Amino acid sequence: MKKTLQALLALRPKKKLNGEYLLSLGASILAALLVGAVIMLVSGHNPLEGYRAMLHGALGTQRNLGNTLAKSMTLCLTALAMAVAARAGIFNVGGEGQLYLGAIASALVGAALSGMTPWLVVPLCLLAAAAAGGLYAFVPAWLKVRLKVNEVITTIMLNSAAIYFCTFLANGPFKTDERGIASGTAQLDAEFMFPKLIKLSNLTSAIFIAAVLALLVWYVMQRTSVGFELKLTGQNPRFASYMGIKTGRLALVSMVVSGAICGLCGMFEVFGLHKRFVETVSSEFYFDGMLVAMIMRYDPLGIVLMSLFFGVLKIGAMGMETVGIPSETILIVESIIIFFMAAESGISRALREKRARRRARRQSEIMLEKGAGA
Amino acid sequence: MSDILNLGLLQNTLRTATPVILAALGVLMTDHVGIMNIGMDGMMLTSAFFAVVGSYYLGSWVGGVAAALIAGLLLGIFFAVFVIKFRSDEFIIGVALNIFAGGLTVFLLRSMFGVKGAFSSPDIVGLPTFSMPWLEKIPVIGPLLNENTLLVYVSWLLVALCWALIYRTPWGFWLRAAGEHPESLRSAGISPEKMKYEASLLCGVFAGLAGAHLSLGYLTMFTENMSASRGFIAVACVIFGASNPPRVFAAALLFGFIDALGMRLQSVGFNSNLTSMAPYVVTVVMMVLVVLRANHRKKKLARA
Amino acid sequence: MDNSGRADAIVRFEHISMQFPTVLANDDISLDIRRGEVFALVGENGAGKSTLMNILYGLYQPTGGALYVKGKKLANHSPGQAIAAGIGMVHQHFMLVPSFTVAQNIMLSREPRRSRFFYDFRAAEARVRDLVREYGLAVEPGARVSQLSVGLQQRVEILKTLNRGADVLILDEPTAVLTPQETDELFEVIRRIVREKQMTVIIITHKLYEVMAISDRVGVMRAGRLVGVHDTRSVNERMLASMMVGREMLFSQLDRADTQGEAAIEVENLQVLDDRGLCAVNGISLSVRRGEILGVAAIEGNGQSELAEAICGLRPLRGGDIRVLGRSIRGQTPGQIRAIGLSHIPEDRLSTGVSTPASISDNLLAGKQRRREFALGGLHLRRRAIHAYAQKIFEKFDIRGAGVDAPAASLSGGNMQKVVVAREFSFDSPVLIVAQPSRGVDIGAMEFIHRCIIEKRNAGCAILLISADLDEVFRLSDRIVTLYEGRVTGRFPAGGIKKADIGYYMTGHRQQEASV
Repeated sequence: MKKTLQALLALRPKKKLNGEYLLSLGASILAALLVGAVIMLVSGHNPLEGYRAMLHGALGTQRNLGNTLAKSMTLCLTALAMAVAARAGIFNVGGEGQLYLGAIASALVGAALSGMTPWLVVPLCLLAAAAAGGLYAFVPAWLKVRLKVNEVITTIMLNSAAIYFCTFLANGPFKTDERGIASGTAQLDAEFMFPKLIKLSNLTSAIFIAAVLALLVWYVMQRTSVGFELKLTGQNPRFASYMGIKTGRLALVSMVVSGAICGLCGMFEVFGLHKRFVETVSSEFYFDGMLVAMIMRYDPLGIVLMSLFFGVLKIGAMGMETVGIPSETILIVESIIIFFMAAESGISRALREKRARRRARRQSEIMLEKGAGA
Repeated sequence: MSDILNLGLLQNTLRTATPVILAALGVLMTDHVGIMNIGMDGMMLTSAFFAVVGSYYLGSWVGGVAAALIAGLLLGIFFAVFVIKFRSDEFIIGVALNIFAGGLTVFLLRSMFGVKGAFSSPDIVGLPTFSMPWLEKIPVIGPLLNENTLLVYVSWLLVALCWALIYRTPWGFWLRAAGEHPESLRSAGISPEKMKYEASLLCGVFAGLAGAHLSLGYLTMFTENMSASRGFIAVACVIFGASNPPRVFAAALLFGFIDALGMRLQSVGFNSNLTSMAPYVVTVVMMVLVVLRANHRKKKLARA
Repeated sequence: MDNSGRADAIVRFEHISMQFPTVLANDDISLDIRRGEVFALVGENGAGKSTLMNILYGLYQPTGGALYVKGKKLANHSPGQAIAAGIGMVHQHFMLVPSFTVAQNIMLSREPRRSRFFYDFRAAEARVRDLVREYGLAVEPGARVSQLSVGLQQRVEILKTLNRGADVLILDEPTAVLTPQETDELFEVIRRIVREKQMTVIIITHKLYEVMAISDRVGVMRAGRLVGVHDTRSVNERMLASMMVGREMLFSQLDRADTQGEAAIEVENLQVLDDRGLCAVNGISLSVRRGEILGVAAIEGNGQSELAEAICGLRPLRGGDIRVLGRSIRGQTPGQIRAIGLSHIPEDRLSTGVSTPASISDNLLAGKQRRREFALGGLHLRRRAIHAYAQKIFEKFDIRGAGVDAPAASLSGGNMQKVVVAREFSFDSPVLIVAQPSRGVDIGAMEFIHRCIIEKRNAGCAILLISADLDEVFRLSDRIVTLYEGRVTGRFPAGGIKKADIGYYMTGHRQQEASV
């Protein structure tokens, strides 16, 4: 029991991206796509057709491309949110809940300020979303830092709690009066919505805010003293506090920032797509982002690139439906990539050790022969 | 008030607690060897699906349970190979397993049965229920203990069995040594990895049983994502019960009770979403209490 | 070399080699161990002693050579097979499960059963009681191991190996954690089992007087090679020492300037709890002046670690007070205390002293990341300046490694310690806490680190030195205090006490009334 908790606490980003890793990442992706092809074959579909449909679905038309970019944006932001906390050694699994709270907070503020100028309302909604997500992340972070309560489990639990709570609000006290809407908050003014960049697609101007945010996260993490302190805290908290870094406060702040980013993601969904809070504002978006972050070992630049790839997979999956292939095939492909990457270090370590042993044995055999000859 | 607190509530408690109990037994097995199995939710879900498959095609609940057990066992092996052999991060594997299970079950649901969302059919044979007439005469306990499905009784038996296995047999000592101080076990000539594999396999078996109860217990159907985070609640129970089967059992019953109470309150007009929050919030509160209690004990020790 | 007497060789190593991915830990080692002897294996840290014994015990598979026990070849054997062949090993880190009882640990993997399935606890305890009686190693079978003292835990380890039918007993640095009394008792046990039970004992150590006290023969290892095997009677400590390091162990004279100034560290009636909540520091008072080194001599676990951690703010004060440069540090964070002017070389290099996954450059920068020279406005890191700085330190301290961007984990112990020293000493703090500065460090690095410390002293720093190595304490200190069970038992000026006598104070057998 204690061991397990320690093992969980030891889940800190310790490895870096390097050439060898990227190579095995490429191999894993190829292998996973192959497995996907086999699945398609077995279930009676043509894999080439399937992947062609996937690519078309993701990139074939302006609209599809827009949807892919929008998807990538969400993936990228959630992954960065995960990375910010993980850098400091906290595993924020609760981004989904933070996203929901951000979504509903911004939707409620936006609805309450109906009729006012968007130049005031939209920033306020951004603020509300960030605050709601951040505050909700603060709870498990505080429990972790002050009481050493394992944050992995608490954040998982708080996810479900938040989703039910938001659903309760949208079905109960803040349910819209409009007819024909079963659940959801009141509709936002059209002026509040982020303008679409590509017609009929989900791509909105929110992507500019997201880009600035991503740049900011990258800059702070990679180029500043605060990022340096975060890194040291995540790698070895004992060392960090011994060096005079306020590890507790850093962990709290990074978690709140992580939650705030998730909250903003929720707001972008509401103000870009749904026009109100609905229960389906996210379908495990955060978990996808989390995996992107873990695969790329919390490297911000890597996360941006991997988000684009996963965006293609996710949106492309819809395209596969058009030729009759269940989109869940892609879920399976995704998880296989993750399995491979999680096992990567173990497999390559085993290979390396084997090679070293063989070399050493050969060496000592040569030595023995020499000894026998003398 | 009596509308809420009645026998039905207790019966529902048992009903909702049983899959959690079975899953928690699996989680605690791996926990004893030092592996936190966060992928239990996905293991349960996959097993639940295959229980329906087995029951539907073989036309018997035995076939369903067997299929679920095989699915659970395979996932247990899968999990073990990654975590033990490849030394992968158990948490990443767990999360990936959950996603994999979500994708796989929906994919198979569509390609095997051609349906989306849920699959039910009169051809799916549910688990049998048992009744012992002599029990009926005892008030409260009689009806409570009667008319439950097979796996409810099995789960009680397994709690006792697991306790005896872990704390009263040499195997249990090896198991705990593998988690607490693996090198001491290795130097005694027993491979800790072997113990970890065995624990993971048992975990798979329990996941299979939990899944079978989920889809063949009271409802005889499979719905998308029907595990509904019960795997995570099982993990919380294990933490709360310090991996000791009877205590974990008590924790699972408590969760079952809260869940059942929520459903009951819903039936008298409470918003269901609000009551659904309860088990999750309670878990967090309980985890805080566990830590506070441990701190308190430490402080008392320091004073002495 | 004395490799004759093959007939009574109970263990024979033939050309054993062990290649780890980065180091050759054992290099073509051939050695016979005779039945019924006490064989001492000595060598510096990292000389390959433990590796060789782990090979014998089946924990590692050698990459070359062959191994014979009682004339039978052991190849690719597991610890289980080694045990079956009669090999028992007491590791440096005990192989005990803390939450199990003594009996449960001793009987691990050979539990007596009831009805084929259940653990027969009573039979297990009875068996352990028999063992205790047979070998005269008193320990309570029903006690929980986590609550035993280190000496008793070691007894459990020995009983465990005896119970497994071992007639070759390997002891890996058995006295490192023992008090002198416990060491004497252990040696008594060793002599008895060799005499009465015809056991063979292999003892790994680097304490040379213990070699002289207990062994019949001694083998010396250096850098993976076995450089000599001798009858203990035919050698002395000095000879062994020079064989271990490969040259005469001659320390150069350290120049001391007379610079002592005002008190910079003042500890008053300090009380500190350890991790278990027990009182580890119990009313210590001491002070260190600028320009002097105060050496703390104590056997591990007598409060010296907690004392150092309390001064550095890593552990809360329970009672009393500490003043650094005249300011009380009660309730201050490590960062605030550093800001007052304190640097600290921690005893636990791997977990506290460095961040092993971080680069050497990052490790050198730590603590200075907000200085204007390295960060514009305290925020934007000036990467070129940082790199230049790390490069300068890297060269100045002669750190041997694959460059400043390599992870600290890739460094050897000595070079890792140089990184710690380089970083801490470059803060130019007037107060230094130096704990176990040369633990696990080769002689060359130790000499270098000692020079750095003396240099700091001569420049007017107040230095509190904590070390388990008495030679180091005597070599560097201006004054020495001895600690026993969290209290000061003696205060001496350098040269005011002999090395042979200080042990009485470190074990609480003598105590001074007045302080110096």
